Amino acid sequence: MSDTSRIFEQGYRRYDGPRLGRWAAVRSVWKHTVQRVLGLRRSARHKVLPFLAILFAYLPAIAFIGILALVPADADQARDLAPTYSQYYGFVTAAIALFIVFSAPEALCPDRRHRSMSLYLASPLTRETYLLAKALAVFTVLCLVTIGPLLLLLIGYVLQTNGPDGPVGVLAQLARILGAGAAVALFGTAFALALASLTDRKGLATGGALIVLFGTHIVGGVTAFVLDLSNAAIMLSLFVAPFEVAARILDAPNGGTAATSTPNLTVFVAALAWTALFSMLVYVRYASLQVTR
Amino acid sequence: MPGPVVVAEQVAKRWGSTQALTSATFTIGRGITGLLGANGAGKTTLLTLILGLHRPDGGRLLVLGADPVQAGPAVRARIGYAPEHDALPPDVAAHDVVRHIAEIHGLPGRVATARASDALYEVGLGEERFRPVGTMSTGQRQRVKLAQAIVHDPALVLLDEPTNGLDPVQRDQMLALIRHVGHDLGLDVILSSHLLDEVERVSDAVVIIEQGHATVGGRMDELRNAGNTELVVSLDDPAGATVLVSALQRRRVASSDAGQGTVVVALADDAVFDAVRDEVAAAGLGVRAMKVRTRSLEEVFLAGQTGAR
Repeated sequence: MSDTSRIFEQGYRRYDGPRLGRWAAVRSVWKHTVQRVLGLRRSARHKVLPFLAILFAYLPAIAFIGILALVPADADQARDLAPTYSQYYGFVTAAIALFIVFSAPEALCPDRRHRSMSLYLASPLTRETYLLAKALAVFTVLCLVTIGPLLLLLIGYVLQTNGPDGPVGVLAQLARILGAGAAVALFGTAFALALASLTDRKGLATGGALIVLFGTHIVGGVTAFVLDLSNAAIMLSLFVAPFEVAARILDAPNGGTAATSTPNLTVFVAALAWTALFSMLVYVRYASLQVTR
Repeated sequence: MPGPVVVAEQVAKRWGSTQALTSATFTIGRGITGLLGANGAGKTTLLTLILGLHRPDGGRLLVLGADPVQAGPAVRARIGYAPEHDALPPDVAAHDVVRHIAEIHGLPGRVATARASDALYEVGLGEERFRPVGTMSTGQRQRVKLAQAIVHDPALVLLDEPTNGLDPVQRDQMLALIRHVGHDLGLDVILSSHLLDEVERVSDAVVIIEQGHATVGGRMDELRNAGNTELVVSLDDPAGATVLVSALQRRRVASSDAGQGTVVVALADDAVFDAVRDEVAAAGLGVRAMKVRTRSLEEVFLAGQTGAR
């Protein structure tokens, strides 16, 4: 063969290169799921909901930063109207809920509906590593709306001298934002996967998630404030629990939502208990799943 | 020389009240092995055990030299699997599905991308590989399933009823592809099927599963030749058949007159050839044809059933 001629199409051949092991499999499932949940590499209609949710999550931050940019630097009263980080969650709760309810079921339901689980479990993946990859993917996507907007807010506030003082203050605030966002995303991930694990139909998972979200909110609210049994009962509400944790991590140590008088320990234990309960449900559902028939 | 691909010793598996496998003992070697049995015989159960997805209730199973339950991920990394049912997401392009499966079997991203195209091309899908799976015909989807099973160059390919839903032409093409994978690409294949002729056409060896038992197992040529093999002698003169049968019986060689000048001789050993030659020559009979009749897989299957009972 001459120096200028090359064979481009070699066809199927044996492979003796490196094989990357189970963590590469986890990474691949993570990447594939993130793409799927966000509608990437799919038709435009699959992108509408996730990108609307992301837009709704970031829009208030962009608006507040824009307004601050227009307000004179010495107009302290006007600048005080800018929301705190924990207050910001109040603006984007709907966007986060939208993401959890509509987009997250996309991570689990189709694999069971199309019976692709048999292909996944015929690989180096186990049920546990498969679920880990799926959970990481949903967690990653949720972080886009639980951490991203607050980071944008932090950057905007710092640039407009409305943020924490000095590098240490900025770093501390950054850590709080990451911690709070991660806590909300973890809670949302466990909740979304638990609902999605109960059915292979996305519509049912979404409907179920909405019913559980509003149902627990009503039960928590009635128990805490109508029956006046205990203020802590509001932690039964899945709308309140994650955001109360986030508020206490961020800048409202005494509470940022309806659970104001509830002790920190109760708040964190309640959120942790919810997360553990949802995770356990997912694990139990998948441990007994028959995949090859 | 590499050892057997699968070794099963007294493997048992129960699902609730159903005993899916009962003391299944067999060895699967290199090449294409048909796993033959009726629906519900325990074939899919056996495949799940080979994949290490479930633990046998009893016995010992070795796949590629390892216990598939203990070394599950490592064993499965070297196995390609195409399930019986539809398992492909309909809204994803075939190439993306196959590349993803290559990646989860440990191939680096760029290699996975290239090999996905190669594997799909190998099964006869060219430009169609960029179409969503849901827009493909049943035959094309079966090809995609085969492509994802071979994309990572596995040591063992498990195909569960790969011709399900195919018309006769597509079925022939799929069987030709399986033969190509096993013989030309050199991958060891276990073909699970309830269709006897399908297994007979492509397999080098067979394991017959019946009601959870492995009733027959071995190389196809050995099974066909084993026991009850017959020598069929066609004579010019129909009347000569009686003469030949009498002469052979005097020499204690079992034979019978099948009519129209045909004598069927039990081929107990090679000495029978000499006996037939000598008696034909002594009687001065004209021989039109003489051939060894081996058993069909159906006869092997039926003999296995009889043996199991």
